[in-house]
Amino acid sequence: MPRWEATEAVDPHGYCQAEIEVTHGFGLHARPSVTFTRLAKSFPCTIEIDVNDSHVWLNGKSIVKIMGARIRRGSIMKIRARGLRAAEAIHALKALVQRDFDEEKKHGRSA
Amino acid sequence: MAEALEIMGVSASPGVGVGPVHLAADVTAEALVPGDSVAAEGEKLRQAVATAHAELGALADRSDEESAGILDFQIEMLLDPALVEMAEDRIVAGDGAALAWVGALNEYIAGIEEAPDEQLRARAVDIVDIRNRVLSALTGRTLEDFAPGSVFVGKDLEPSLFLQHDWTAGGGIVLFEGSVSSHVAMLARSRSVPMLVSTGRFEVAAGARLLVDATGGRVVVAPEDQQILEVRSRTAEARPSAPSRTGGVIETFDGIAIRLSAIVNDPSELKSINPSYVAGIGLMRTEFLGNVFDQERHYDIYRQALDWAGDAPVIVRMLDLGGDKMELGVGAKESEAFLGRRGIRLLLALPEIARLQARALLRAAAHGNLGVLLPMITVPEELDAMRVIFEEESTTLGRKGVQTRMPEIGMMVEVPAAALMLDRFSRSDFFSFGTNDLAQYLAAAARDDQSVAALYDAATPAVCRVIAQAVVLAETMKKPIGICGEMASDPQHIPALMTAGLRHFSVTPNRLADIRSTIGGMYSDGRAVAEMK
Repeated sequence: MPRWEATEAVDPHGYCQAEIEVTHGFGLHARPSVTFTRLAKSFPCTIEIDVNDSHVWLNGKSIVKIMGARIRRGSIMKIRARGLRAAEAIHALKALVQRDFDEEKKHGRSA
Repeated sequence: MAEALEIMGVSASPGVGVGPVHLAADVTAEALVPGDSVAAEGEKLRQAVATAHAELGALADRSDEESAGILDFQIEMLLDPALVEMAEDRIVAGDGAALAWVGALNEYIAGIEEAPDEQLRARAVDIVDIRNRVLSALTGRTLEDFAPGSVFVGKDLEPSLFLQHDWTAGGGIVLFEGSVSSHVAMLARSRSVPMLVSTGRFEVAAGARLLVDATGGRVVVAPEDQQILEVRSRTAEARPSAPSRTGGVIETFDGIAIRLSAIVNDPSELKSINPSYVAGIGLMRTEFLGNVFDQERHYDIYRQALDWAGDAPVIVRMLDLGGDKMELGVGAKESEAFLGRRGIRLLLALPEIARLQARALLRAAAHGNLGVLLPMITVPEELDAMRVIFEEESTTLGRKGVQTRMPEIGMMVEVPAAALMLDRFSRSDFFSFGTNDLAQYLAAAARDDQSVAALYDAATPAVCRVIAQAVVLAETMKKPIGICGEMASDPQHIPALMTAGLRHFSVTPNRLADIRSTIGGMYSDGRAVAEMK
């Protein structure tokens, strides 16, 4: 099964935006949400997410909002950012979702 | 004596416990004093959040990595201003801080409890935990712990209460609701605390004696002594020969013992692993020790690991250089990175390095239960050649009066040609799958090449089939076989690996608790217990 093609673009309102499918086994719950919001908070720009085309943009730095969005595996997440280092933030967050929130790889080296 | 009452539940962590009932108090916001000014109430709430945050931080500091990870989630929630803002809306509307807090949190928790996904619903109790901790800071009531050895009975159990409690005296957990996917269930499995969920609400007096037969999926109120003895002996019979290091052996629901060992990338990691939680070190790498030409450094590190492990085995893998491990500059040239001279091939081509490492291993082996793992073996002749090196070095050291012992010498099973022909490797003392290399060779897809990453991942069924065939060969040879590849550290792959017949897993330290709880929730054929109810 091919993954949902992640797209990245800058829209006319100055938002950098990406769209990606959440493939992590447990969706965006406890630990993945911590990882996501911590990374989001490391950027100075605004970061917002929209889940499954709800047209409600939630603060991507708020774990309370992200948990409340009840994001499951298979959800399509749009991430948008505006401001300093926005493109970089989108790129990093998208990569984190693609890497399944680094859940399995904290120790890196392989056997 | 009161008549024994039996209630059925779903097992979230197997085992048997007996103890007096501790009934959880329901937390309510009733009788909370109305507030002063809006500003004062807001400030009170922020203070209470800070107190709760500090308490959880202190608890996380004295917890193991898995537990700290669970508390980290709660801490991150507390750090989020959105939580206080939800309550502040209610304070502005006239509620006191405590009432506003409980009201806002209850609404949020109800939202999580309605989630379509069991995994997410199971996180609701983590937020209940936050709610209660902040509330107790607001009201000055301390969160009650309960007597060691008690059986906790309640709607659900908050992770931080579990972590504060001393479980060494036994006891158990019975939840009217709860979930096998909750953080508390994970913690209970990793600490072997018997736990039942979904019993439905039942009446029981505080202090009454309760038998939690989590293996049998039932709880008995006021059990007869005879009943306790029966359950205990039945559980003991089902248990295979008692392992000395129970922490490293997990039983599946059908009573099959699975060994769990640690992978050590760097000796500094030993500090963070509790030796009584693992069956030893299943793989200790040696490429990252720094100067490979320093025999004393090798020896010291192997000794450290053996001292740490006590009687448990420590399997050291000989230098696996070449391929992606080029740090030492002695690897093959790039074009040969994965399919050229690496692993055992390079060791045999650079016998001075191999002999130096063999000497350090032979000396260290005299001090504990050491095994040696040879990387990248393709044909039996490579194994034989390395054995000759060990024998020659052992003789030389012996002549000099140096104390040595011949370690068991086993091989990594990571080249398909070896995996398919395992019966030819009768001189290998044991086998260990290296699934990263096995997968990339089976799929002809390099694991460090993003453009073919999907192929590498998709090769999993082929890898599992090769493993299953090799396990059968190893069993006919009566040789131990395990896995130290990355697949074993991924809970998603554990069912398939169990189905393939593996019973010994070596796992990176930060995944130990997860893998332990995954295995504890399964049957030996790879089916999850939760799917069976």
